[in-house]
Amino acid sequence: MSTAAVARDTGARLAEADAHGLNATLHWSQACLDAEASRVDRMAAPGPLAGMAIAVKDNIVTVEQPTTCGSRILAGYLSPYNATAIDRLRAAGALVACKANMDEFAMGSSTEHSAYGRVKHPLDPDRVPGGSSGGSAALVAAGVVPVALGSETGGSVRQPASFCGIVGVKPSYGRVSRYGLVAFGSSLDCISAFGKTVKDASRVLSVMSGPDPLDATTVNRPPMAVPAPLASLKGLRVGLPREYFPPDLHPGVAAGLRRTIDAVRQLGGDVCEVSLPNSAYAVPTYYIVAPAEAAANLARYDGVRYGPRKVGPGGDIRALYQATRGEGFGAEVRRRILVGTYVLSAGYYDAYYRKAQRVRALIADDFRRAFAGGVDLLLTPTTPTPAFRAGEKTEDPVAMYLADIFVCAISLAGLPALSLPVGRTDGLPIGAQLIAPYFEEERMLAAAAALEGVIAAGSEVER
Amino acid sequence: MSIGRDEVLHVAKLAELAVREDELNRLVDQLNRIVDYVAQLDQVPGDRIAEAFIPGPQAVPLREDVIAPVPLSRPPAAIAPEFVDGFFLVPRHTAMEDQ
Amino acid sequence: MSWETVIGLEVHVQLRTRSKMFCGCATSFGDPPNTNVCPVCLGLPGALPIPNAEAVRLAARAALALGCTVHETSVFARKNYFYPDLPKGYQISQYDQPLSTRGRMTFDSVERGRVEVGITRLHLEEDAGKLLHDRFPGKTAVDLNRAGIPLAEIVSDPDLRSPAEARAYLTTLRQILVYAGVSDCSMEQGSLRVDANISIRSVGEPALGTKTEVKNMNSFANVEHALEAERARQIALVESGQKVEQVTLLFNAGSGQVKPTRSKEESHDYRYFPDPDLPPLVLTIPWIAEQRTALPELPDVRRSRLELALGLSAYDARVLTSEPTLADYYEAVVAEGVDAKTAANWVMGDVMTQFNETGSFPVSAAKLGDLIGLVRAGTVSHQAAKRVLAEMASRPGEGAEAVARRLGLVQVSDQGALGEWVSEVLAAHPAEVARFRGGETKLMGFFVGQVMKRSQGKADPKGVQPVLTEKLREE
Repeated sequence: MSTAAVARDTGARLAEADAHGLNATLHWSQACLDAEASRVDRMAAPGPLAGMAIAVKDNIVTVEQPTTCGSRILAGYLSPYNATAIDRLRAAGALVACKANMDEFAMGSSTEHSAYGRVKHPLDPDRVPGGSSGGSAALVAAGVVPVALGSETGGSVRQPASFCGIVGVKPSYGRVSRYGLVAFGSSLDCISAFGKTVKDASRVLSVMSGPDPLDATTVNRPPMAVPAPLASLKGLRVGLPREYFPPDLHPGVAAGLRRTIDAVRQLGGDVCEVSLPNSAYAVPTYYIVAPAEAAANLARYDGVRYGPRKVGPGGDIRALYQATRGEGFGAEVRRRILVGTYVLSAGYYDAYYRKAQRVRALIADDFRRAFAGGVDLLLTPTTPTPAFRAGEKTEDPVAMYLADIFVCAISLAGLPALSLPVGRTDGLPIGAQLIAPYFEEERMLAAAAALEGVIAAGSEVER
Repeated sequence: MSIGRDEVLHVAKLAELAVREDELNRLVDQLNRIVDYVAQLDQVPGDRIAEAFIPGPQAVPLREDVIAPVPLSRPPAAIAPEFVDGFFLVPRHTAMEDQ
Repeated sequence: MSWETVIGLEVHVQLRTRSKMFCGCATSFGDPPNTNVCPVCLGLPGALPIPNAEAVRLAARAALALGCTVHETSVFARKNYFYPDLPKGYQISQYDQPLSTRGRMTFDSVERGRVEVGITRLHLEEDAGKLLHDRFPGKTAVDLNRAGIPLAEIVSDPDLRSPAEARAYLTTLRQILVYAGVSDCSMEQGSLRVDANISIRSVGEPALGTKTEVKNMNSFANVEHALEAERARQIALVESGQKVEQVTLLFNAGSGQVKPTRSKEESHDYRYFPDPDLPPLVLTIPWIAEQRTALPELPDVRRSRLELALGLSAYDARVLTSEPTLADYYEAVVAEGVDAKTAANWVMGDVMTQFNETGSFPVSAAKLGDLIGLVRAGTVSHQAAKRVLAEMASRPGEGAEAVARRLGLVQVSDQGALGEWVSEVLAAHPAEVARFRGGETKLMGFFVGQVMKRSQGKADPKGVQPVLTEKLREE
């Protein structure tokens, strides 16, 4: 298919998704798509992603289209530079198709916290697609684009991938440049990829990966290769952390995991039980570290240099700050800024932030020990339940946080992980999570591609 | 540990966030719920505590001292809410006039 | 009651780099506003900092020059506060793991002689932007060209005991930093800024009193004046039974007064935490040792070398080493074979005046050496040589002897020419000749002067007197 046709068809599908009220896009235009297509057509050497349309989460900055992070405080903001990931994808021949809706500043697990309205689950409009990269996930799940960029801070790609029944891959921290990813929790943030298939998500990650002189937290190692699927998992030991299989796990999810374990064995792999005891503390640790970093990262939205400005009573600089920020940020973002400011404030730093960073070390050490003990990959459910209903958790922030209970620890440890669709329960997708040692994405993706070939992800699981 | 109204207002001031009176009570409840929840880290015994965790590289890479800014594809004037004669403008603030 | 003053200083110096601390923008001074800016120093969404290797090297060098321990691991931290000159809402600084700690520096105090001051720490940070309050009515204008410029913050222990000592400390500190080549230390261009902490206590009291912070001092003299004003204010408060409150005060150079800025309730809670965008700064022991070896000779060492090796007086040595460029020039003149004391006299005169004004001198040390050689050979008089030097300075390039000839300042010792001038002078002053011959021999000086005048300074004074003596004896 010609690149121009890709642009035209993608535009038609985006228009249709918008018309159906999916609310997964924030910015796109046929003109932009067409311009992308002709740019790619003019390229001397078509790159590894030539002609591939990609949706981009709206917290990754782009020169051609606005970047709002799903927030009023960046309404209409046009970045003067492109993220490194965007530059690399475009240089590889990809077409940036649209900017995708998201929880405001990536804070949320349901994409209900966007200033521009909630994203609907493609299979059930009353349910959430997960979050915070819900727009990107919904667009891939709905077949609008084959791949999309999301971002992870504490599971924001794996969790919506699981809810939507697609592949979502979070690379190792430091594998993909964060330059141009609007910061939320800087020590956790990772640009991540969604795909219908493991291979497509891998291709996108491969192009984005590799050190960047503009991001001091990228690791100086060569870019990730796109691994070929393994024909067999013989010799591969897959660990099942017992803390990730609680007795009250949703029966459909449990059945999906049993099916996945069977598939591992069927392919010749070994399965054994391991323990990650400190993962129990992952969610509270995360909800100290991430808000603390966020409170500082979001201080730059002050109405001085960019973004819309509001000035409150008094008309002075404080009134400008407080009104711009008070009205520009939504409820969840304000809650997290307040929590983050609180845990860093005088007298509380040691009790919260310092303690959390140390517990984080214990959590990471559990993984290190499990892998050192001879396990090649870990397998867990991605989420405790399938996609929940819209509004179900918006009143209780902690209930919402617990939707990330199986994904948070991996983010804190900086490890690569992915969510693979492994079946449906009552029509809703179930995801299995594979976790690899640091910078062992290729092993994980090769195994996932093998499992993908033998698991009928679209079929109901037997409870 | 619990957070009162004054503490929320103090933190809101540090964060330069206007908080409306009608949302304050709910905010106090929610912040208490969150802080109570994260306080479960107190259960982690102190003697097991390691050094703080640093993901990614363990040493910062340094940049050569060359003039090579990332170019701006649109100037500050194009993104600023108020920009005149090359300057960003903000309301004049009395505490700053001294300086 | 008699009061003791306790002062500690926080000095920010701009490190001499081409580009900013965390981005590739130029550090040049005086460019149009908001032109040296990029995503990083504008604090744009998604931008990330990368530290400048040269800034790290210069800060380490400054720390070593001040005898600090440079740590193998230090950590960049975010200092959180809102201000329109601070693009990210936090400043990247260093907090509980700074680059270096525990140094010392000695200086000469008028009151206490040689004084050693502890250096608490020296750390790296980025500068904020510049605010202009008087350019637009009712508005504050923000220029971010300065935002992100690399700074070293140097914190002293509270070891200074008077405003004069504060000034002397700053003079010495500045000299060390200029010698080490880490900063221009120009208060006019904002590359050196001083904040002072000051408290008073009754003499003999071990505990420190409540301190205040004084800012906005734009010269070392003003630091002294501001601290004198603040000391007087604190003493007056305490002696009238009031308490000193912990406030920040701004110095007004016009009125010579200090006045408080922020009220106490706004005391800051900066919520420092390690910057997650920046892994730890790791320096190796060999690298640190290399920086130590590469340190140039510091002012104290150079001063004693000039005293011991060249036999200069303590005063001359101190004056000549006040600026490294001046000392370099002086030593180059000595290297031309000029006697050390003679060279000192020359350099401490017109040369130094011009050095102090412009930071350099247009006549090379070699050419000045030539000129001094002409004086020694009697070719040019000392007086004439000063005119030659001034001419050389205004029109550089020409050699000393050529200039002396062009100006007709080469001394004449030719007997015939001297005899002619002497005869003319004696003919013009018959009365004085008669008095001399009558025994008034002190008139010899008068005749020498007249000959010099008639020769327009060209006559060699050493040759004039014998000719005069001979002609006056003749009848």
